[in-house]
Amino acid sequence: MPKSSLDLLHGTVAVLILKALTWGPMHGYDISRTIRMRSDGALGLEDAALYQALHRLEKKRWIDAEWGLSENNRRAKFYRLTDEGRRQLDTEVTSWRAYVEAVSKVLETA
Amino acid sequence: MRSSRIPGRRLFRFPWRTAAQVAADVDEELQLHLDLVAEELVEAGWSPEAARAEAVRRFGDLEGTRRFCSSLDRSKETQMKWKQALETLGQDLRFGGRQLWKSPGFTFAAVLTLALAVGASTSIFSVVHGILLRPLPYPQPERVVRLYQPTEDGRVEGGNFSVPTFVDWRHESRTVSAAAAYRYGNLILASSAEAPERLIGMWAGADFFRVLGVRPLAGRWFAPDEEKAGAPRVAVISEKLWQERFGRDPGVIGRTLRLNGEPRTVVGVMARKDMYPDFVDVWLPMVFAEEESQNRGTIFLDALARLAPGATLDAARTEARVISSRLAKQYPESSPGLVIDMKPLQEVMVGDVRTPLLVLLGSVLFVLLIACANVANLQLVRASAREGEVAVRTALGAGRGRIVRQLLTESVVLALTGGAAGVALAVWATKALVTAAPQGTPRIEEVAVDGPVLLFALAITLTTGLLFGLAPALQASRPNLASTLKEGARGSRGRASTRARNFLVVAEIALAVVLLAGAGLLLRSFAQLQKVDLGFKSAGILKFHLSPPQTKYPGDTELRLLVDRLLDELDQLPGVEAAGATIWGMPLISGENVLGFSIQGRPPKPPGQEDSIRFAMVSPGFFRTLGIPVVRGRDLAARDRDGAPPVLLINQAAARQYFPGEDPLGKRIAFSSERRSNLNGAEIVGIVGDFKQSTLEEEVAPQAFLPVAQAPLPRSSLVVALRTEGDPGAVVAAARNRVREIDPDLPVYAVRSMEELVSASAAQPRFYMLLLGGFAFVALVLAAVGIYGVIGYTVRQRTQEIGIRMALGASRDRVLRMVVRQGLTLAVIGAAAGLAGALVATRWMQSLLYQVSATDPAIYSTVAAVLVLVAAIASWLPARRAAGTEPQLALRGQ
Repeated sequence: MPKSSLDLLHGTVAVLILKALTWGPMHGYDISRTIRMRSDGALGLEDAALYQALHRLEKKRWIDAEWGLSENNRRAKFYRLTDEGRRQLDTEVTSWRAYVEAVSKVLETA
Repeated sequence: MRSSRIPGRRLFRFPWRTAAQVAADVDEELQLHLDLVAEELVEAGWSPEAARAEAVRRFGDLEGTRRFCSSLDRSKETQMKWKQALETLGQDLRFGGRQLWKSPGFTFAAVLTLALAVGASTSIFSVVHGILLRPLPYPQPERVVRLYQPTEDGRVEGGNFSVPTFVDWRHESRTVSAAAAYRYGNLILASSAEAPERLIGMWAGADFFRVLGVRPLAGRWFAPDEEKAGAPRVAVISEKLWQERFGRDPGVIGRTLRLNGEPRTVVGVMARKDMYPDFVDVWLPMVFAEEESQNRGTIFLDALARLAPGATLDAARTEARVISSRLAKQYPESSPGLVIDMKPLQEVMVGDVRTPLLVLLGSVLFVLLIACANVANLQLVRASAREGEVAVRTALGAGRGRIVRQLLTESVVLALTGGAAGVALAVWATKALVTAAPQGTPRIEEVAVDGPVLLFALAITLTTGLLFGLAPALQASRPNLASTLKEGARGSRGRASTRARNFLVVAEIALAVVLLAGAGLLLRSFAQLQKVDLGFKSAGILKFHLSPPQTKYPGDTELRLLVDRLLDELDQLPGVEAAGATIWGMPLISGENVLGFSIQGRPPKPPGQEDSIRFAMVSPGFFRTLGIPVVRGRDLAARDRDGAPPVLLINQAAARQYFPGEDPLGKRIAFSSERRSNLNGAEIVGIVGDFKQSTLEEEVAPQAFLPVAQAPLPRSSLVVALRTEGDPGAVVAAARNRVREIDPDLPVYAVRSMEELVSASAAQPRFYMLLLGGFAFVALVLAAVGIYGVIGYTVRQRTQEIGIRMALGASRDRVLRMVVRQGLTLAVIGAAAGLAGALVATRWMQSLLYQVSATDPAIYSTVAAVLVLVAAIASWLPARRAAGTEPQLALRGQ
């Protein structure tokens, strides 16, 4: 998790977690690794922020948690997307795209 | 292991976690993460220790995250706990509702019983709350006290102090922050447009409303300098008068009213809710006449005070007693036995109705208990029928707690339904109570079904729901699983259930007996009251009041002329047989004014121990008009006037008390009042029969009657009595007209027939009797239903046994007797317990009873007999059914 990665905009952590969970239930470490890999290491998510966000999302019922066993047979807390979380993700992605598009337009016309 | 194993199952279905467990889970989750990161680093070539340190470093704020996540999870846990509790409750409610819906007969009976009991309790409580419990609408109302001189039996009466006594006490007292004396009087409001109107006035000190701590609704209260003689004449009017007479015109402030012939400027309006007492129409500043402010013996004032901050009621009372005993020693001639005492104003206001209201509240709660017992009994019977259902649910894994909760929820649903119906009933019943309450019930207009009353209703509803639900629920949750399932739920309920049912019925009967005994006592007492010898003939008598104002009738001479003329002319009205007048002497509403006196020829008594006697002024025809017999000597005659030798009459009570074994006729009396010096040596010329002076219950007090034409006349209501040939109402208009012809400025008020007055005197006992009688009746019906239900149930349970008995040759009569005996046994045990309870409970009622002992054996035995009889009928009905059993059918039915 190199420190040189891009700092994440506030609120983006939630979208990334939700997106990561669309590939299946996973525990915290998996989520962090997945995000790092999918962004080719460009996006580094601070672990503290990740876990706080996970618990926040769980309370909001966007994700759901269950204790299971990890690959090396240790008790691990697995998170998965709820229906509500899936709907929330769609909304967030749409508005994220609109935002990026608007910002890009401004930047490119300069 | 990546997929969720049981779809739809969520974490919160697991047993609830404690705060420590929540924290441990968070730790475990974070530890796994740190370990995995460290492993990754070791693979990349780090030493294990360095890897672990690096993992922690990379994590960021580890401690903060741990705390954040734990607290978040804890609050989520709580949230879910509530949510699940609600879900369970919802399930129970739906299930309970369905169960109740499935047995409409049971549900209807239970809801009706509860509605009646909750409705009755709530409406009585609303009265108790409005009158006894709710504080007066003043700031710190408990610090407002009424000053009084206790009567011999400790009661508070009007007219307690003289001006100098009050002034001395006020001057010395350090325990009150404000005090004001007051007195009542009649006022005549003259008007050019309308007939003159009689109003109730209160002359009060400038501090009166500072004592209460309220401000006028409009305008202002009196200023202290308006209490001085010669100050501008002002008045404060009540909101009621403002509304009725002035249509709430704000311009009334500054308007001049003619009160008792004097112009007075209205300076303020008092709000209705702030008024004390609530019947006053106009307040005037207290201005003392010279004689009043000097004479310690002229006792006519009452007073209110507000305790000073930090002073307790006890301290103020002690101080008042010290001051008053010193004054009594200092002025033995004029203030013998002076005692100043205090009571919180609210206590004084509601003192008379306190006991009856509490008795009523107690009774109605008994009805509630009986209703509980009845519904519990219905539940028990139903629980037996539901054994099968409960057994199946238990077999399917429902825990005992879950079953008890389910059954309790059902009871609470039942109770809430009954309670809701009860509150609707209470709203209606409370209005009816307020309307039916006897006139003069204090604070009755404040009675309403409001917030606290609704809370009370909710509380008793939930309590009853739990009370009548708990026993059946506990019992039903403990079924003998194997036998119930095997037997197909037939009569396997053991002795415990029968015992519980029998106990409830016995309790119901016992409570009903207590209520019946109470009602019986009140009924008997009321009957005694109806038989009371009034001492006068009320039939055909009409009475009305006049208040001749001092401005127009300044002296006794003018007043006597008025009385003579009134009686002369009224006597001649068609339909009128006789006319008489009195001041303070009217039966049932006479004054309690007393006068010190001595009997000539007897050794004088030491100061402070002279005899005193109630007295009244009467016209010559007064006793004849009211049918009060002159038992010895002669009645007053026209010749007994000013200038003639002074005479008086006394009643039999006075003759007994002051002339035992002597003939009072011819004895001469001297009065200690200087104002009555012209009466000294007055001769007793006749003895009249005793008549009820204020109440039906009272012992007649010794009383002296002085001729209106001789005695000095106080400024008080002049009461005129007319004996009519038939209906007193028929002469009202003619009498009013005649009075108007004599003096158009003199309003006629308080017009009533004597029969109405007698009936009003019994209004309070009648009201309490009817209410308690109603409760007792409901209790009796509920108890009868309870017996009927239990006996009916046992008969159904024992059908087979009865069939066998009959097959073996038992006669119908024998079966009938057997069943009835069972009911009677319960009734007798219940009645015995109830009588014992009544002996204790009715002690609280003694003060409500007239010439009946609270332990009257006749009433107790009647009540017990009535109950046993009702129990016999209630068990005879199912017994007849049992006796009609066809042995063949009963046996085959099995």
